Amino acid sequence: MGALAIKNVTKRFGDTHILKGIDIHVDSGEFLILVGPSGCGKSTLMNIIAGLESPSGGEVHIADRIVNDVAPKDRDIAMVFQSYALYPTMNVRQNIAFGLETRGVPKKEQDEVIARVAKMLQMDHLLDRKPGQLSGGQRQRVAMGRALARNPKLFLFDEPLSNLDAKLRVEMRTEIKQLHHRLKTTIVYVTHDQIEAMTLGDKIAVMKDGVIQQFGSPQQIYDTPANLFVAGFIGSPSMNFIPAHLASEGGVIGVSLQSGDAACFAPLLDSQRYAAYVGKRVIVGVRPEQWDLAADGGGLACKINLTEPTGPDTIVFTQINGIEVQARLHPRDARSPGSVLHLRPDMSKAVLFDPETEIRIG
Amino acid sequence: MSKPWRGVLYAVLLIAALYYLLPLYVMLSTSLKTMDEIRAGNLLSLPGAISFDAWHKAWGTACTGIECSGLSGYFWNSVRMVIPAVLISTALGALNGYVLSKWRFRGSELAFAMLLFGLYIPFQVLLLPMAQTLGWFGLARSMAGLVFVHVVCGIAGTTLFFRNFYVGIPDELIKAARLDGAGFWRIFLRIVLPMSLPILMVTLIWQFTQIWNDFLFGLVFSSGESQPITVGLNNLANTSTSVKEYNVNMAAALIAALPTIAVYVLAGKYFVRGLAAGAVKG
Repeated sequence: MGALAIKNVTKRFGDTHILKGIDIHVDSGEFLILVGPSGCGKSTLMNIIAGLESPSGGEVHIADRIVNDVAPKDRDIAMVFQSYALYPTMNVRQNIAFGLETRGVPKKEQDEVIARVAKMLQMDHLLDRKPGQLSGGQRQRVAMGRALARNPKLFLFDEPLSNLDAKLRVEMRTEIKQLHHRLKTTIVYVTHDQIEAMTLGDKIAVMKDGVIQQFGSPQQIYDTPANLFVAGFIGSPSMNFIPAHLASEGGVIGVSLQSGDAACFAPLLDSQRYAAYVGKRVIVGVRPEQWDLAADGGGLACKINLTEPTGPDTIVFTQINGIEVQARLHPRDARSPGSVLHLRPDMSKAVLFDPETEIRIG
Repeated sequence: MSKPWRGVLYAVLLIAALYYLLPLYVMLSTSLKTMDEIRAGNLLSLPGAISFDAWHKAWGTACTGIECSGLSGYFWNSVRMVIPAVLISTALGALNGYVLSKWRFRGSELAFAMLLFGLYIPFQVLLLPMAQTLGWFGLARSMAGLVFVHVVCGIAGTTLFFRNFYVGIPDELIKAARLDGAGFWRIFLRIVLPMSLPILMVTLIWQFTQIWNDFLFGLVFSSGESQPITVGLNNLANTSTSVKEYNVNMAAALIAALPTIAVYVLAGKYFVRGLAAGAVKG
């Protein structure tokens, strides 16, 4: 069953087009991530799903019902906000009860719901406190509790973790994922953090300039990004974009890479699909972890300009085809700046882009 | 700050405080003296024997024109005027501010700009048109008319106070309440209004002071049994008999000023706090 379907939704303010025809379909129980840089329209889309803004065109379906003209409160949704939006003059219990109260839930049932939610999120001891007396993480928890109390068909999370410090953010991220596993409710989650997107989502919609750049599973988006923007946005450190000529050497299609005086020819796998581009300029996308140390002395001899040890890995910076390239190596394999390492790209995972259209080739 | 400088600072503050308290002291001591003592002694001396005769007279028997029943009637007129006028103008200001900050509509910024313009219109300009309007409404020379004038003239200021305060309340709070199923009124009464205590105090004190101390509208738009205390005080001080009774005049002035002084003493800390809150957020 479709939990949420967005069909050709547009939004404009005067001549400014915020959303330019969005199509999304989410099945019941799925975790959808809307990710993109600020101003890409993801929050507007979220508000349209919630009913807080109305679309200029298109349809929004929740649980197979068109909700364009349905008020936010009647859409059977609950939302967690970035600023938590807890009512400051009410204590936690009243905050959770408010939504039940306006819906006319009897007092006894309210107490049961509050007890259930408090138990689920382990916040029994916070019920009588005001939001001002809670830490950031506790407020986050209460905001989620308020949403859970409603038992909605659809949860909306609007950048819920961006006001937390780094450690807490990781903890809450795990907690949200566990919650989703337990409840199996459909979740739409807006974030600008690509790590949150990768770790939480069943499906990711990468947005930019009011257009969905790619819609797919995290692994699809990571392995076969639709265009340069998606490739650069997802993954940290970013994918290396190496400009190169596509050439054919002895029937094998590949690219030539050059670093300082050294050069090598990197053949592409399954290369006939690139035949149309032979002799043309392309952009080769190689992720930092897709570089291996060529122990046999082959590969490309690269001079290291800089290293960034992260603990489990060391990122080494070098220059290939005139641009800076980052490679993620085991600390044991890394060398200090100034020395030379023989690196070999894993061309089976490399992706090629057309430099004009910025779209993936093949 | 070093010790000697702190001393200088306190000295300056003390002198400033004395300077501003001196008139109050003169009024208070004069009001407690007898006429003989006023004629004999100097302005700054303490009263020899404390006498409340002047206060009794100012309250109950002093002449304000041909009538000689003191300020008591005027005082209760002012109370009857100020309470509804303050409450209504504050309530309307809160509602306006809520709409102009959280329920914006096409043209709401223009409406706000026009309201602000109302702050800059000198009240003298309003006298004739307002008199005409009150006549049409059948409210001329009545207490209800005077309340109406104060409400209308107060709305611009109260709206500005509340609107600027509410701009600082995050919109997400309103969105959350809408998703919780609350409508316009429930959000206002349950979420927004309970957060408004600081600005509510500022507005109540401000409006109370403005309306209680108003002389112009009281003089122009009221008569006889509906005149406020400011007009009564003026009449009392201007009713000339053979001797000028300074002690009675001072007691009358203090009676007229007492409510505003009391409000500042009781609620002054909210006033400062509310103004500061507005300053940070607005």
